[in-house]
This record gives sequence, C-alpha cells and structure tokens, in this order.
Amino acid sequence: MTGLDLHKVFRPEKKGLKPPHYKLMTEAQLEEATRKAIEEAKTKLIMPPVLNEREPIDDVLAEDKILEGTETAKYVFTDLSYSIPHRERFIVVREPNGVLRKATWEERDRMIQIFFPKEGRRVIPPTLFKDEKLGTVFQQDRHEDVLNMCIAQFEPDSPDYIRVHHRTYEDIEKHGKYDLLRSTRHFGGMVWYLLSRKKADGLLIDMINRDLLDDATSLITLYHMLHPECQSAKEAKEQKLEGVDLIKVFVKTESQREGYIQLALQAYEEAMATSSAS
Amino acid sequence: CHCSDHIFDVITSPQVLPRFCSTQETPKDPPAAPSPYQERPWEYLESEEYRATYGDRPVWHGYRRNHKGSVPPQSPRKACLRRGRRVGNPCPICRDRNLLVDFRNVKLLDQFICPHSGVIFHPIHTGICMKQHKRLSQAIAQAQDHGLLWLQVPFVPVPEEDFSNQHAAVGKTPPAPALREPGQAWYPWYEWQQPPAAEVARMRRLYRGFLKEDYPDTPPSPSGK
Repeated sequence: MTGLDLHKVFRPEKKGLKPPHYKLMTEAQLEEATRKAIEEAKTKLIMPPVLNEREPIDDVLAEDKILEGTETAKYVFTDLSYSIPHRERFIVVREPNGVLRKATWEERDRMIQIFFPKEGRRVIPPTLFKDEKLGTVFQQDRHEDVLNMCIAQFEPDSPDYIRVHHRTYEDIEKHGKYDLLRSTRHFGGMVWYLLSRKKADGLLIDMINRDLLDDATSLITLYHMLHPECQSAKEAKEQKLEGVDLIKVFVKTESQREGYIQLALQAYEEAMATSSAS
Repeated sequence: CHCSDHIFDVITSPQVLPRFCSTQETPKDPPAAPSPYQERPWEYLESEEYRATYGDRPVWHGYRRNHKGSVPPQSPRKACLRRGRRVGNPCPICRDRNLLVDFRNVKLLDQFICPHSGVIFHPIHTGICMKQHKRLSQAIAQAQDHGLLWLQVPFVPVPEEDFSNQHAAVGKTPPAPALREPGQAWYPWYEWQQPPAAEVARMRRLYRGFLKEDYPDTPPSPSGK
C-alpha cells in the first residue's frame, strides 16, 4: 500500500553541486539498473517499528547514608565497553544523598549520545519537536522531514517519538494530506494509527479519488483483521466478498462519511465505464 | 539615485583626529536612531521602502568592495562598526539599519542560502563583514532548530535491536534484602559477624606470642559506630 514511486524515493538531495552524469545503456542494462534501484528503494521503505511507550526506570541499587552531605552534585557512571548493545549498558547515578539508582531513560539517552554519538542525533533535542513549534512545520507541509528527524533523534519506544508521530498523523488526517507520506517509510505507521482508531474514511476517499482500488481493498482487509468483531468483518467473512463489494459493505456498516465515499465510488465507476467504452 | 535616508546616513561633523594625550574624549559618531522595525524585523521585507530599494533581487546584489588593483580582497572585512565609527562602504546588512539579523525573519536569511545546495554563501561572495556573517550563521542555525527554515535531513536507517527491555540494565531488578526491611544493615559485613571457629583458632595459634591471655573472642559492643 505504500506505493513505490521511484521519482519520490530517489528525489535529489540538496548536496554539493556536481555536473550531471549521462550514461549510455542498452535495454538489458537499463532493466538491470531499474531492478537494482527498486531493490535499494525497498530497503529505504522498510517501516520503522511501532512500539508501546517504554516503562520508566526507577530502581534503587543501594542506599549509603554514610555519603550524605559529602558531595554537592550527582555523579553519573556509564559503562563504556565498546561491544555491548546500548540497551544492555549499565548507567547508574549516585545522588548527593547517597542513593545509588539506575539512570532514567532520558539520562541514558543523553549519556549514550555523548559517548557514542550517532549521526543526525543531538544531545538536546531540537526545539521543533515541542508542540507549539510542530504547527509551523506542518504549515510548510514538511511532515516527512519531521518524521525522519524524529527517527534520527529518538528511540522508537520513547514517549517523545510516539507523541510526535501521533501529532503528525492527526494533522495529516485533519487536512487530508495523505499523499505526502505515500512512497515513504512512514505510510505504514500512519495506516496502522488510523485503523486502530477507526478513522479510515478520509484515507479511503483519497485512495478512491486517485483510482487505487487495490490499495483500498487491502485497507479494508487490514481493518477487518484489526477489528474482527465489527459487523462488516463478519459479513465479509460469511459472504467472502472481493473488491468493490467489500468497500460497499464497509461503507454501509462502519464508516462515518457514507455520502462522500458513495460519491467517490460513483465517480470512479463512471470513469471506468467511460474509459472502457472509449 | 534612489537612496532613501535610512541608507548612507552622511556624517555632518568634520573628521577629527584622535589626540592621544588629551583628557577630552574623541567625539564619536552620534548613536544611530533605533530602527522602527526593532520588534518585528520581518515586516520590513514586505514594505514599500524595501521594494523600492532592492526590488526582487537579494540584499547583497550589486555590492562591491573598494580596493586597489584588479583582484578583490580574498578575505572578508572583520567588522563595519569599529569603536563606534562606521567604515566607508559598509556591507549590505550594516548599511541598512532596518535589516536586522533575527531568526524570525526567514526571508532575509533565505537570501544568504544557496537555493540549490542548501549551503550558506561565503562572506566574500555576498560581501558582508565577518561579524554579521557569524550572527547570520547563528540565526540560520536557530531558525532551522525552530523549524522555520528548511533543513536537509539525512536518511537514518531504523536501528535493528531488541526492544523488549528485558536486560537487567533497563528492566526491573528485585530490590536488595536490606531495602525490603529497613533497619537491617545494607551489606551483612557492615556489622560484625562471628568468624568460623577454625579461623579464630588459626589466628590465635599464629599470634600466640603476642596476644594477651584474656583476649576475648567477641569484641565489646560497638559504641556509636
């Protein structure tokens, strides 16, 4: 459903200027190059994981009252061995009152970024991830950039990552800008978010308007897999519907914007009729 | 010539040479009147005067350094305002008091970024002084940070690691026995423990010649420790 638009995936990046390369290829070489490009695009379109929020760490390892009053600042001890994964790295904090506790998730992320810096990630996250600033970025239609920066900056199970993603999806759904994420790796996440909250109508209308009937049917099948107890799922299973009938059943039972979807379906069928007639 | 009065404010007082041993201060230029667009610098770029002065072109278009010879200087000027005095032929930003370098007037900042590669122009290319170039780079970084300016985002692949958080470093560890019942010492060896009888006998045999006869097995009860 994500769609594989090569022109959008391999859109030119703004880097240093180089004169354009022209290559002379035979048909076979061109096919080979296209095939390689499609494979590379598929690696770029791998969907990032959708996880629940991580539980906060608040374990106390030791309480040494004898150290109370000796220091005025917290000490953070990080295990810097090179070959352990970051999630198995022990990071502990000794507070001035003598308590030795495990570092919280935010402290962990900061320390790991200081000692093992990752490309595209900053120690203090950029201000544009705050709720007030996200609005300005959405007005410039830069949802994909925001999501890419979010993946670079935060861990997939951190509350900030989840909050930014939910805000982005809600803004897209409010303005109907589904096409911005099509052919990117964020499309799957958006579909999952909308379907789990039963807000599939806008997306369905958009797909029918763009004549993507197969995508629409896969959307409805996914909806039925997510919510097997709903009425349209039961009907579809009994009657084993396919294609446009599936959509019609869904529209009759589950959707909130029946009128719009009916109109869109009608327009699509008329367009199909005229194109097949001519 | 269509210069309005906010550009090239002419110094009316005659040039005064500095007198090093005098107790009087050398008269400096009168402080420039603050720009009316101090609070909202982006409004100036929409106004009539801006349009009349610059038209559609960037602010630095047509500026040239004055120099001897055919080759222009290959390093930018350090500052246009040195010790209160303005240099002759100030740079495109210093010569217009309404052009304020602020992270909010994105239109001005955009004029100094290459539209093709996304890189800030070198100050030799635009002609601005080093001080303004530094302030401009900081303002551009701030604007990109706040999301007002476009920024090239590198493609970072999603990390493939185990997100289950089961490891002891990030998961729950059962609390130590001393924490469960407060009043007990943290480690058992914080308090005195009776050593095994074999050890006591061995120590007594070793230091036989030095121990007092009535040396006790258990120490007296701890006082205040």
